[in-house]
Amino acid sequence: MPENKVTEHDIHPAEMEVEKEEKEENRRRLLLLVLLLLLALLACVAALFVRYLRRPAPLPEMVPLPVDVNYPPHYLFSIYGVDKPVGVALSPEEDRIYVTETGGERLVKIFDRGGDPLGSFAPPRTTPGERSPVYLATDSTGRVFVTDRLQHTLFVYDPEGNFWDAILAPDLTLSEYVSKHTNGLQPGDTFAYNQFESDVYYQKTGESEQTLPAPDPGGWAPLGVRIDETGRMLLTDVATEGFNVVREFPAEVIMAPSWQEFNPPERMFGSYGQGNGEFLFPNTAVPDSQGRIYVTDGNNGRISAWDGQGSFLFNFGQGSGDGALSLPRGAAMDARDRLYVVDAVGQDVKVYDVSGPEPNFLFAFGDWGMGDGQFNYPNDIALDSSGRLYVADRENDRIQVWSY
Amino acid sequence: MKKLILVTVVVLALALAMVGLTSANNGPHGGYTATTDACAGCHRAHTAAGPKLLIEDSTFALCMSCHGSTATGAVTNVNDGVLEAVAGSNTGTPLNGGGFTNYQTAATTSTHDVSETVTDAWGNGVDRGTLAALAAGEALGCASCHDPHGSPNYRIIKATINGNAVTVTQVDEGAQVYDAESWPADMSNVCAACHEAYHETAANVGSDTAGQVFGGGYTHRIDMPYNYGGNANPETVGMGGYTLPLGGTDLVVCNTCHLSHGTSAQMTGFADGGPTGGGTLPGNTTATDSALLRLDNRGVCEVCHQK
Repeated sequence: MPENKVTEHDIHPAEMEVEKEEKEENRRRLLLLVLLLLLALLACVAALFVRYLRRPAPLPEMVPLPVDVNYPPHYLFSIYGVDKPVGVALSPEEDRIYVTETGGERLVKIFDRGGDPLGSFAPPRTTPGERSPVYLATDSTGRVFVTDRLQHTLFVYDPEGNFWDAILAPDLTLSEYVSKHTNGLQPGDTFAYNQFESDVYYQKTGESEQTLPAPDPGGWAPLGVRIDETGRMLLTDVATEGFNVVREFPAEVIMAPSWQEFNPPERMFGSYGQGNGEFLFPNTAVPDSQGRIYVTDGNNGRISAWDGQGSFLFNFGQGSGDGALSLPRGAAMDARDRLYVVDAVGQDVKVYDVSGPEPNFLFAFGDWGMGDGQFNYPNDIALDSSGRLYVADRENDRIQVWSY
Repeated sequence: MKKLILVTVVVLALALAMVGLTSANNGPHGGYTATTDACAGCHRAHTAAGPKLLIEDSTFALCMSCHGSTATGAVTNVNDGVLEAVAGSNTGTPLNGGGFTNYQTAATTSTHDVSETVTDAWGNGVDRGTLAALAAGEALGCASCHDPHGSPNYRIIKATINGNAVTVTQVDEGAQVYDAESWPADMSNVCAACHEAYHETAANVGSDTAGQVFGGGYTHRIDMPYNYGGNANPETVGMGGYTLPLGGTDLVVCNTCHLSHGTSAQMTGFADGGPTGGGTLPGNTTATDSALLRLDNRGVCEVCHQK
């Protein structure tokens, strides 16, 4: 039986054409695959490049300055996306920047160290016209304390911006008020306060939302807030033009796991006026390592120094010449007891060495303008341990980052 | 050159002497001494960035450093129209002049634009309904109406506005009561400095054009007794819980119906003076225009006239 061989002559030209087309199709598919792979590779490279460009600025080591030499920091970069910022604070890990803005929606905004936005928050049940966040601080657990000038309240949030509690008066918290009127609060229960509303809202787990008549907390106006590493809170109070003081809240009260029993001893110092031991709109109060407290005495254009017992020590920065202040606002202290004071109208940050018995003006940095390293009504400052300085540059709508 | 320097020194000395005599006014707005450091708060002698030797070129930003929403240096928050310090209370009260961004927690619907860009005013020496330029070189800003160095006038109102001398009697400056509506009888002089044509004070100008100084049709009389025509007292009686403040001894002044800084009053229907509203005003290009009125729609008419 003859072998049934298939020769070229036996293949129909049409079949050859099909085979040829199949080969061509395979070649095209391969080419397409290679192209897709190349495109994917290109996309990966582009993504890596963008990521490289957007990387956080390198973390400089804290420069160990010689004891007798001091020099100003230099400008690094700015964080935009804030509207009229007036307050700035850092998380305890220094990986988050919290900023209060008084324009736009009047939110507290969160940024990472590279300046990328992470989120924002505001007191629950309030509208922009009902709130005005000003200064803020964080404690060692990461809670964020924010003073609100329109609400006359100190709001407290967890690190993510979830509302935690509020201090409505020097001896009254919102959780305490709600707890006393509702047989106690449990974890998971929620509550909210808006001083423009006649009711307080609360919702217990598994129940519907209910209301309570809002308390009458009396008259106070928390303005500047700072919390030291122990948890002690220093708060300026500008309740009326006849009552300007600094209030001190002990760490054991502030760091208590719950504020449903909030009974801080009344500790405050200063009074309203222009004399020694008196304030005209004290903005912030910061401690040094020796237990002294320095208060930016805004409208008196000076720094007021106090001892740990609340006794007046001395004033400085008033008058003319080097280190003279125009309108001191936010302040911060570094580990070497150098006091950084933001001069809102002086358009700079003035730095004093307060480690000795007498304060010593070291230098100022920044001037008025809109360029890099220039300020337009700055209002607050925060420092980190790596030598970075964050300045709320109000009218330039940005946070400026400086470094040594 | 020496003469110029001499004249400048004399003028500055006189200005400082006059400032020392002013009674208004607290904080950086007066009470200067020969050794004051207050000047450096806002001015630079040789390195100023703005005119008038100001540290910065915007007076609005400068004023907002204390009087803004944060009220970090004053109890008068003109941005939100709130007086932030009422003894024993956490609730701020509405500021007499209103607010530039918010008023009574709502966004403003009309304001005096004090961004130093507006250079014209309605009825400024011309007929009502007509715009005319402010005095040479003037652009509207905070310092157009207020003197930051203090003034013998109520609310540190400038003694000269738009080139016109202005006198406004102080009624409660010592007490600095910024929430009580206690306008002086001559408060309308402030508004008239720029809007002169609207300050018609003769009787019957609402129905007699012959008695008017300026043209533009009939107009509501200003500085008139509230009970002209038998109206109820809008300050003490009012209507539906709404009241309006009077000036001096029961006079209807500009501020009886209008807020100087800004209002959040809502206008609808015939009361909407915007281009899409039922009562479109000539030359009005804003979406809605509440014309600085204190109350929604035409509540200011009804509280007095109660028709």
